Amino acid sequence: MWEFTARSLEASTIFTFAALGELIDQRSGILNVGIEGVMLFGATFGFIAAQSTGSYWLGFLVGITIGGLLGGLHGFFSITLGVDQVVSGMGIWILGFGLTTYIGNPYTGPLGLPRIPTILGLSPFFYLGIVLVVVTWFVLSKTSLGLRIRSVGENPSVAEVSGVSVAKTRYLCVTVAGMLMGLAGAIYSLDYNPVWNYNFLMGWGFIALALVFFSMWNPFILLGGSLLYGTLWQLSLNPQLVLPGFMSRYLWRTVPFVTTLGVLLVMSTKWFRTRWGAAKPEALGTPYVKE
Amino acid sequence: MRIGGSELKLEKRPALTGWNAALISVLAIILALVLFSLIFILAGINPLVAYQEIFSIAFANAFGLPLTINRFVFLVLCTCAFIIPFRAGLWNIGMTGQLYGGALGSFAILFAFGAKQANSFSLSPVILIPLMLVAAALGGAAVGAIAGFLKGRFDVNEIVVTMMLNFIMFWLVAFMIKEGGPFMNPGGRGESFELPASAYAPLFMGIPFTVFLALGLALLLYFMFARTKIGFQIKAYGHSPAAARYAGISATKIPLLVFVLGGALAGLAGYHYFAAVPGVYKIARNYGFFGDLAFYGIICGLISLGNPLAAIPVALLFGGLSIGGRFAQGKLGMGFGVDYALLGVLMITLVAFQFFHRYKIVRENTGENTADVGVHR
Repeated sequence: MWEFTARSLEASTIFTFAALGELIDQRSGILNVGIEGVMLFGATFGFIAAQSTGSYWLGFLVGITIGGLLGGLHGFFSITLGVDQVVSGMGIWILGFGLTTYIGNPYTGPLGLPRIPTILGLSPFFYLGIVLVVVTWFVLSKTSLGLRIRSVGENPSVAEVSGVSVAKTRYLCVTVAGMLMGLAGAIYSLDYNPVWNYNFLMGWGFIALALVFFSMWNPFILLGGSLLYGTLWQLSLNPQLVLPGFMSRYLWRTVPFVTTLGVLLVMSTKWFRTRWGAAKPEALGTPYVKE
Repeated sequence: MRIGGSELKLEKRPALTGWNAALISVLAIILALVLFSLIFILAGINPLVAYQEIFSIAFANAFGLPLTINRFVFLVLCTCAFIIPFRAGLWNIGMTGQLYGGALGSFAILFAFGAKQANSFSLSPVILIPLMLVAAALGGAAVGAIAGFLKGRFDVNEIVVTMMLNFIMFWLVAFMIKEGGPFMNPGGRGESFELPASAYAPLFMGIPFTVFLALGLALLLYFMFARTKIGFQIKAYGHSPAAARYAGISATKIPLLVFVLGGALAGLAGYHYFAAVPGVYKIARNYGFFGDLAFYGIICGLISLGNPLAAIPVALLFGGLSIGGRFAQGKLGMGFGVDYALLGVLMITLVAFQFFHRYKIVRENTGENTADVGVHR
């Protein structure tokens, strides 16, 4: 049972990192639906770097860097070019899905490095994730940088008038967000499940996207959601550990996705919106053009 | 930016004319293919040779051409499945799940008539094939309807919903065809039972009849958008859901309608690949690959700017490119996934070109230094 719990917590770590990135994105008013693509890039390039150099450090560094670059690319499209953010995010996702399939293919198979040592039986990233949640919360709600980020997410023209550079702030956010997503991917392919296969994420990034909507843009709720989904995901992979013989294992795989639909539905009801709907960043998804 | 006596400036476009849009799309495809040359160069292959190989396999080869046409049919259906919601301002990225729904629908008909046990079949194909088509359309429409209903009734983000449905349907197919699932092949090879020979789709010169179906549907859609009230309502909703509501167009009905129609078309695409293309005739073990292909539908839909007629040549080109890429990779000694990589590069180039839908580059005389340079434009 401890094994199951530990794996669940490690799975939730990946959701935490990816969704935290998206949360930072969205608080600054940028919607990135291409999380899965950024994660695939981070995972694949991190995997290749770690396998060819034998260094985990380098693997994670490459994963973070490529994530940051892709985040910046999304920023370039949606901030500088003013392209529809959904289109740009979809582009990043399909680019990631397509290119990593080709680039990673020769590396199909296990990583072949000694596993990353655990701390108290858990991946060190689990603790790092919790620290990052606290840091993100602190920065967003207690610092002037956080105020800037939130103001460009709520009302960019007012922020611009009061002397905040919308473009700069948003670029900062998309890049940091991309780095977190890239790192999430690298954690998956180097620590959680160090085997490369094409399109291996199968929905992690999209669940992370939904998690941000669930979190009401609050890092702590996001952490709770990640823990829930990490457990659910792990359960869907190994249902026999908890409920042996109940439902086909393929049907279990649909459980996290069906649950997501259910939660999204509840959140979209009028009852829910009138109570908590105000948490959504006002300018989310709308390109800002400086006049 | 200054060049000589003139200055290059960005200017906002008032509106995009059809020809300009087509030009932008063509330029985007060309630039993507140029960018994609890098992949060949990195693999140590002359890009010109590679493209020649790809195009000759796809369009000038007795083996490749039928494959291209089959994929073209699939892509036209997937593109139209994307286009219908797209015209209403909604994103259908769930063609994958919808086509799985279509495949399951048509195999359910076969299953209901006992095709799993007996390979000989009493039911006439004249009844059976239309039944399978209807079931495929219904299967796809049912999957689409979930997204449309949730969007229309509760305003749930349709991108997340359709993506979730893709994964749900992927595992549902796995459940149906693997490890003792109802549609499992009696031989248990992790794939569905095979179509009885009497249920094979009629062929015309080696191409299943679905090619006419796809072309006809694209034409029909074009007229729906150009001439009919419902087409107008969809477009009005796409421009402004709020304004459409004032005009008496139901904000719950339109999303449901476009996703049902789109889903039905994607369902037919599922029928096409799993029950009509010669040599397949079952839900194969690698059905996920066919699902991935549906994402080309997004690209085709964006390039053709939601015009079902423009989708026809675009789908033919991309059908050919993906087939050519797949078979050229073996011939040129490249790794697996050339067609996937192409998908990615095309998509990202297209995204960048969206910029030109809103802006254009104009050249202006600055006036001051034209005299001494002496060059006038």
